[in-house]
Amino acid sequence: MAKVNYRSLLETNNYVRTLSDTTYWLCITRTVQESKLFPMSPYMLLSYLNSFYRLPTQLREIDAITPAEELGDRAREVSLKVNTVNGAWGMPTFYLLGREMLMNWGLIRPTDAVDDVVDVLDFSRRFNLAYHRNDGHLTNKEFGDRSQFLPERTLQVFEADLHGVTPGDRLHTAATKLIAQLSQFAFLAHCECRIGLHNSGPYNFGNDRQMIVRDFFDLTEGDYPWLDGIATRLPFNNLTIPIVFKDTNFHLMDDWASFEAEPSYNASNIVAIGMYSSDALTDGYVPVGMDNADTLADTMEQYREILNEATTDLWKRIASWSREQMIDAGALVYSSVGKDFAHLAGTYRQDDWLQLDERVQRFKPLMNDEYGRDHLGEMVGLLGLPHQSANEYTMARYSSQSRNMINGIPYSVLTDDDYAPTVGDHFSGSSSLPVKTGLWTTSAGRIDIDDYNARARGFTPAVLDGAHRYRDEEWVKWHHGSEQADELYRLTQRGSRNLEGRGSALRRADLPRPGDTKGDDHADR
Amino acid sequence: MSDSEWITPKWGATEVLPLPGRFNSMVRTLAADRIAATGAQWKDIVFERQFELFSRADADAIEKEVLDSGYRFDFSATVSLESEPEKYRRPEREISGFTEERSTDGRRQVGVGDNVISKPQTVVGPVALISTIEQVMDYLTDGVPAGTIAVIDDSGGTLTAPIIEGFAGVICLGGTVRSHLGILAREYDVPTLMNCKIDELRDGDLVELEVTATPPASDAYETGDIGHARIWLIENEG
Repeated sequence: MAKVNYRSLLETNNYVRTLSDTTYWLCITRTVQESKLFPMSPYMLLSYLNSFYRLPTQLREIDAITPAEELGDRAREVSLKVNTVNGAWGMPTFYLLGREMLMNWGLIRPTDAVDDVVDVLDFSRRFNLAYHRNDGHLTNKEFGDRSQFLPERTLQVFEADLHGVTPGDRLHTAATKLIAQLSQFAFLAHCECRIGLHNSGPYNFGNDRQMIVRDFFDLTEGDYPWLDGIATRLPFNNLTIPIVFKDTNFHLMDDWASFEAEPSYNASNIVAIGMYSSDALTDGYVPVGMDNADTLADTMEQYREILNEATTDLWKRIASWSREQMIDAGALVYSSVGKDFAHLAGTYRQDDWLQLDERVQRFKPLMNDEYGRDHLGEMVGLLGLPHQSANEYTMARYSSQSRNMINGIPYSVLTDDDYAPTVGDHFSGSSSLPVKTGLWTTSAGRIDIDDYNARARGFTPAVLDGAHRYRDEEWVKWHHGSEQADELYRLTQRGSRNLEGRGSALRRADLPRPGDTKGDDHADR
Repeated sequence: MSDSEWITPKWGATEVLPLPGRFNSMVRTLAADRIAATGAQWKDIVFERQFELFSRADADAIEKEVLDSGYRFDFSATVSLESEPEKYRRPEREISGFTEERSTDGRRQVGVGDNVISKPQTVVGPVALISTIEQVMDYLTDGVPAGTIAVIDDSGGTLTAPIIEGFAGVICLGGTVRSHLGILAREYDVPTLMNCKIDELRDGDLVELEVTATPPASDAYETGDIGHARIWLIENEG
């Protein structure tokens, strides 16, 4: 719960301005989202409002069971949907943009909901610090647009086990086709927004090679009601595909988890690839089809076929939706970017995350396409809302204008008393979408939500259990080869084709060489 | 009470864009009037009595007042225009934009764009203008004719989701090489020009895309160094 004092407000306002600057840079320099299928801008604005009204209560419940820094530890070990774009950037930013909208309308003042703002940003800061523990930064932007959260023990398993490919061979073709299909499906399942895709890295793989990790989330039955009955032959809800490139420098990995490379991303430069899955119940990455190159190609071809069919099925379903259904779905995708925190804590309730609050529903008649487009542009691009202006001597980071996208909390709240500290914790809402009836696809099988929550509450990954949690790479530097370090590394090496049981003393030169690896691997590292 | 009035923020002006300025001003005025009318302390009404300050009926009334003034909204998603045609302007197709008359090797240049992936050869094919769900459904049913170059006025990745792989090339009239359609074109290895400005093209016109051009540099959209891939009309359907 919030401790509103001068110190917490200083920290909160610092983080607010960081998010404000970074989000402006992202919005101006990256790309504009648009769609002829989905009314995107209207749904984005409504999602911000939904976040403002619901997120503080949702996060307080989660934080009480699994503290934010522990959630950051979880997200640092594997690929989870609470990642760079969702948990780290989107969740606090969407919440703050909802606050901006209400301030602009004169329906709240900057001191209102101060407890909520402090709590949401405190949660987000603690999550980010733990998530980025290995690179030591708060955001990708602070790290120079780079994302390196995985530990050496995981990267060594990837390097040893990924299968070598050359353009035109079966696995290379299967992998590039699957990645295209996954990207396509993820955009569609997430109503045109990019939050079902995630990229991280680059990691230095030596010899002018870099690895990036590409993740795809919510691929079949799970939280989104519109995925009931879709891609049900897919055994995993999430897939992770680490890819090693030659002669390619990924010089930018931004807080939207998208990349820039020089020369640009080209599949012909892919030299090694693998596939894994992870979710709130997996103890580390689970290898998927990694026994040998042929099995991996078989698996990728099969998944591609499933997702190709699923894309058509889902597209036909969405094409029949009303405008309000499209808006509700998009708004819920955006406002639920933090939902997997609830899965990790075992607090997930469908109506909490997948309904639009009645306090939000009242604004719907304003949300025609033009207002949505222009109000969003005004708020995140032009910074033209009256209260976004700052004094005329200031020059904001990136824009050099005397305007800021997101505004802080006045310190006067410490002495004033005419403000309301919270929006409250009562939820009442609805959705125009069909009610969810399907199960949740997890690494423990297809289960109902009560089972999913119960399993999550009782689960801690072995590498985070007890003292292991605090054995970071500064510790490994001085304790490699010790019994405790070997135990930690062996936990990550479980299921590895080439490193099972090898322990903590390995360096790159000690990893199995091409031709020595199991599974007909011809990886040319 | 004066403490509940809307105070124009120091240094702030009104919104730059007309419709946000109009809607937002109406909400601000309404909320300020309602707040003043309560006579209560701010902290007791801001969330406790929030539906008195602004309700769905208020939002309906604002929209109605603007529509009653004769204003009609721009649409972005086709579903908006189709489901509420009385609220939206039905625009003329915005295809034009390339007006320079140029010729290269006897071919008429009809447009420029930003190349997504540099290919060894240009691409030639008949164009199909695609902007509706119904067209995509037809292609899903009947298949995409071989060699088709799609002209798409949407840089999103979902309208043409189930059929994009079937195109020999794509001319996208918006976005950038980083847009979702650009990302998917790269993943699917479909020759694609984004952010295109073209003369009017009709279904069946045979065009050639200069997908051999160098893609824009990472800072190209900031420097304006874009639009280097050319589009030529080879044969006019008419």
